[in-house]
Amino acid sequence: MTNISNVVDVIDAAVPLAPDQATWALRRQRDKVVSATQGSYDAMFSPAVEGLSVTERLLVALHACCVSKADSLAAHYRDRLAAEGADSGVIEAVDSGEPVADARLRTVLAFTGKLIERPIEGDRAAVQSLADSGLSAPAIVAMSQLIAFLSYQIRLAAGLKALAAAEAAA
Amino acid sequence: MTLPIRIKGFTTEVLSWKPWLDTVDVDTATPAQLAALDAMSPQARTSPYFLVLAHQPEILLQRSIAFNAIMFAPGGMPRAERELGATVESRVNGCVYCASVHAQRFEQLAKRNDVISQVFEAPASAGTTPREKAIVAFSVRLGAEPDKVSAEDIRALKQAGLAELEILDLIHSVALFAWANRLMLNLGEPVFPAAAS
Repeated sequence: MTNISNVVDVIDAAVPLAPDQATWALRRQRDKVVSATQGSYDAMFSPAVEGLSVTERLLVALHACCVSKADSLAAHYRDRLAAEGADSGVIEAVDSGEPVADARLRTVLAFTGKLIERPIEGDRAAVQSLADSGLSAPAIVAMSQLIAFLSYQIRLAAGLKALAAAEAAA
Repeated sequence: MTLPIRIKGFTTEVLSWKPWLDTVDVDTATPAQLAALDAMSPQARTSPYFLVLAHQPEILLQRSIAFNAIMFAPGGMPRAERELGATVESRVNGCVYCASVHAQRFEQLAKRNDVISQVFEAPASAGTTPREKAIVAFSVRLGAEPDKVSAEDIRALKQAGLAELEILDLIHSVALFAWANRLMLNLGEPVFPAAAS
């Protein structure tokens, strides 16, 4: 059993929030949301999900955070990519918004940027482009969930950061 | 029974949703898939949306737990206001289906829909009271420009009378619909009643 009274999860680390802060304690008043948010993160990057490598998923996350100007979450995914042994040239390209050489990764990142910034433009052709690049229906669902979850994670971290800043100023 | 609202392509009519991917067949679903569907709601086994998401049962399970905790947990922000935050985020993202569902839930809980017409018409200025205006304005900002949200935005909510747990509930609701809208908009499309019949 994890002791919830002093755990710092991915969201806490990104904001950042420490257990002695009022905003950290406030967050624990919704403990089911805390654990399901971390549980979602764990599921999104699980090696058990087939069809997209963990490195590909982390590159999607880095791209989503860069596009959204979510600097501390971008740093988190950059660190994880380095720990995963991902190609540093590819990490750098995604980081700076340069095109990547791999065609499938290019398709995946283009889908990511569009879904993050202009979700209304989602259409059947975009989903078909993923299928054409070799992704199965379960892999497309995993990728859509990942990008959608990142939109949640970025807003949750941003909202908590503002709460913590208001706490510090009070 | 009041007439449904129809403004700028948004509506409070009951819509259906057509997936662009194959759905999981309930009759051949794995125990993990059925558990994830049942964690969401009693109706999820017959919903094309959840049957698409069931392709990834662990992800659906965690999302279902988060969804229900955010929208239904007791205390904190009144449920109608969580639905308002969800509706505003859906309006900002252009998710006609989610906006319809959560506008209807707001109406059921609040017994009125005046603010829904305003949100559909022009979300930036919507709200029938200072508190409601503050909730809507924050929802628009967190949805559209999360990197710009600051302590100033939190102070505006507190000045409008929101307690800290209510603010946390609002952040969760808006963030959750940043998630939900992107699934609805990219894995299928809404179907209007006339087209469905």
